[in-house]
Amino acid sequence: MQQGLALQARDVRMEYVDQQSGDRLLAVDRVDLDIEEGQFVSIVGPSGCGKSTFLKIVNGLFPATEGTIEIATPAEGSAHAMVFQDSSLFPWYTIIDNVAYGLVCQGVPKKEAQARAQPLIDLVSLSGFERKFPYQLSGGMQQRANLARALTVDPEILLMDEPFAALDAQTRELMQAELLRIWNEAHKTVLFITHQIDEAIYLSDRVLVMSARPGRILADIAIDLPRPRQLEIKRTPAFITYADQIWGMISSELKPHIHDVAKTTGTVA
Amino acid sequence: MTASSPGIARSRRQHPDGSRRLRFPSIPERVRYGLIGFVVVLPLWEAVVQFRLVKRVTLSSPSLILEAAWEDLLVNGTLWPHLFQSSQQFVLGLGLALITGVPLGLALGLFRRLNYFLDPWLSAIYATPTIALVPLIVLVLGLGLESKIFIVWLEAIFVIVVTTMVGVRAAEARYLDLAMSFRASRWLTFTSVILPSSFPYILTALRLGTTRALVGVVVAEFFAANKGLGFFINFSGTTLRTDRVMLGVIILGLLGVVMGEGIRRIERRFEKWRPDFN
Repeated sequence: MQQGLALQARDVRMEYVDQQSGDRLLAVDRVDLDIEEGQFVSIVGPSGCGKSTFLKIVNGLFPATEGTIEIATPAEGSAHAMVFQDSSLFPWYTIIDNVAYGLVCQGVPKKEAQARAQPLIDLVSLSGFERKFPYQLSGGMQQRANLARALTVDPEILLMDEPFAALDAQTRELMQAELLRIWNEAHKTVLFITHQIDEAIYLSDRVLVMSARPGRILADIAIDLPRPRQLEIKRTPAFITYADQIWGMISSELKPHIHDVAKTTGTVA
Repeated sequence: MTASSPGIARSRRQHPDGSRRLRFPSIPERVRYGLIGFVVVLPLWEAVVQFRLVKRVTLSSPSLILEAAWEDLLVNGTLWPHLFQSSQQFVLGLGLALITGVPLGLALGLFRRLNYFLDPWLSAIYATPTIALVPLIVLVLGLGLESKIFIVWLEAIFVIVVTTMVGVRAAEARYLDLAMSFRASRWLTFTSVILPSSFPYILTALRLGTTRALVGVVVAEFFAANKGLGFFINFSGTTLRTDRVMLGVIILGLLGVVMGEGIRRIERRFEKWRPDFN
């Protein structure tokens, strides 16, 4: 793999067999992707396009049918860590135990893992909540803990699967700003999956647009907006131009599907 | 969590000192209506017997049962050895059923092939009434404590195995995915995800097992004993001492209720992470 790259995916395909119909379905098709170290890259696409599937392949939860994915292996820490859509904090663990879990998985003794988790809890502004259980935290705070848990293992690349999708609109905006602050301090490469176009533009250095299933990369758009970015940037003309451009691509992907739905329900005039 | 948000009007039933009464308005009501049952039924029962509408020997009466309790528990204390014997069988049988049933249930939930292998046997034995096996058990294990413990064990173990197994399967995919994503070892996945997920089920297994074990104690003592509550009930019945029969039955019922409540307390203690218990 080339120097300075955090991730290199070549010709990744993923087929799976539908359990009910027995058909072979193509979820991800010929995805090539290079991510430079420290870059924040988002993938947007219509729902069900295989973007989450691609992320899970990178994470090693699913096997790719074809192709290769290389991730820079750090001298210390992990290659990657995942932030899931639902916070998936263990309800039976306190926040500190949840955040330390990744280290415990690597065989770090519990006491030491907790000590090493503490700075990350501080980083995501959860100090004072270490001994609380997840249900005692709001959705936004749970996602902070979720993020801290992924950062604790010091991953080369942080994989985020629609982490703010379950949050209400206001909390989501605040969490986006918060994520940028944390990213700025933690200096991580991020691969971020979302179906929200403004979220992708606001956060990223590059936005990849994925086609409807089977998922292919349609466009790779560099977001040339100054950093640090405030939430107000979402109302600038440059931002809106990016949003229109990406929305144009996604809606043209969606149209044939909307037509299909209309045909099957018989509502088309 | 704060109860008072200034913008929201208080409902009429909410007390200013907190939300407790609002959240559990049914408890005093529950006690009140529960007591009505006793206040009505017990005197009625007493009256029916006192006025000789029913013979004493068929139904006994609350006062006669109280008298029997007074005599057997306090005056001559003849009931205590029976109680002790039953408790011993209950504790040993149920304990053994837990020690064997919980690990077996976990294993059956974890290992599909073991499940396929054992399932027909478990189903067959589970479907067989334990009583039908008593002669065989006595033949093999004799009339001593072993056969009774075995009967209690047999009666209790299946619900424990099956409920525990269901608990293992209840482990949510997102938590398993998470453990996998962090490359957790199999053992760590077991202790950090599967065991905590199935813990509520294991406590349910304990509760169901307790009830079944109590049945087991009575079954064992009905057929192959000269001591114990089951024997006391059976013997009192054959000697037409209905008050003693009733006394034995009431004690069994009380034991069941007390143990059920005890387990519920254990549940609350162990599950402080569960929002609905707090």
